[in-house]
Amino acid sequence: MSDAEIIQGLQKDLGGKALELTNPEPRRIFLKVAPADLVAAAALLRDRYDCAHLSTISGVDRGDVFEILYHFAGPAAVISVRTEVAKAAPHLATICPVIPGAILYERELQDMFGLVIDGIPDARPLITPDDWPAGNYPLRKDWKYERPEERIPGGKS
Amino acid sequence: MLTKLTRWSRIKSPWILHLNSGACNACDIEVVAALTPRFDVERLGVLLKATPRHADVIVATGPVTRQMKDRIIRIYDQVPDPKFVIAVGACAMSGCVYRGAYNIMGGIDQVIPVNVYVPGCPARPDAILDAVVKLLGTL
Repeated sequence: MSDAEIIQGLQKDLGGKALELTNPEPRRIFLKVAPADLVAAAALLRDRYDCAHLSTISGVDRGDVFEILYHFAGPAAVISVRTEVAKAAPHLATICPVIPGAILYERELQDMFGLVIDGIPDARPLITPDDWPAGNYPLRKDWKYERPEERIPGGKS
Repeated sequence: MLTKLTRWSRIKSPWILHLNSGACNACDIEVVAALTPRFDVERLGVLLKATPRHADVIVATGPVTRQMKDRIIRIYDQVPDPKFVIAVGACAMSGCVYRGAYNIMGGIDQVIPVNVYVPGCPARPDAILDAVVKLLGTL
C-alpha cells in the first residue's frame, strides 16, 4: 500500500473525523483527530491498515494544549495519530480496549503530564519514584524543578 | 597482636559489593572487567560478594535516583563495620549528565560517605583496581 493509497483510504474511512492528513516524508503519515474519535481511529488502524503495533505514545506541552501522538507502525508506513487536549481539562479516553499494551504508555502520560486517562485498567504511577509528591509533572513546561542543595564533603575549595 | 591481625585480614581480603544505583551499565561492565582473570583481583584477596552483609567495600556506580536513595542507605547500614565506599565513574562522583534531572539526587556522596572517587566515563578497570589498592593503602 502506498502513502497516497493510505491517505485516500483514511479519508474515505474516517470522513469528517480526519481533521488533518499530512505526509511530510515517505512512509510517514500524520493524522489528526478529535480526542473523542481516538479509540475509533486506533481500532480502524489496527483492523484495516495492519497497524497493530503501537510503537509509543509521545506528548508535547504546547502552552494551552497538550499534543498527544500515538505512533502506529505498520508494514507500509508509520502512521501517527495526533490529538489535542486542553490543559485546563486534561482528560483522554484509554485505547486499552483496542491495544492492551498501550497501558504502559498511558500510565507514563499520567505520570509525566498529569493527564487523566479515563477508563484506564490500572492507574498506578509507573515511572515516578514512590515518594514523588502529588501534582508534580516533570514534562510540563511550567514545572520547575528545584534541585536539593548539594553537600560537598570536605567543603568547597 | 589482635589489632595487627585484624588489620592484616582487612587489607588482605577486601570483599566487595557491586552496587548500581542508576548507572547506564558502562561502569558496571568495567567493574565486571576488573574482576576477570585478566586483572586477577583475587590475588589481592578481592572477592565479589552478593550480599552487603559479607562485604567490606561498596563499589558504587551511577547517580543516586530518588527511588534508590533509601535503599542505598539501607544497604550501607547492612554492611558490617569497618566499611568503605568507592564511587566509580563520573556519575557516582557528581551525577554527571543526569545532574538536575527530576529524579536524581546527585552523586553517591549526597547519600552515604565516600572514601575513594574514581573518575572516568566509564572508569577503566585498572583505575578501579588502583582505587581499591589506594583504599587499602590508607588502612
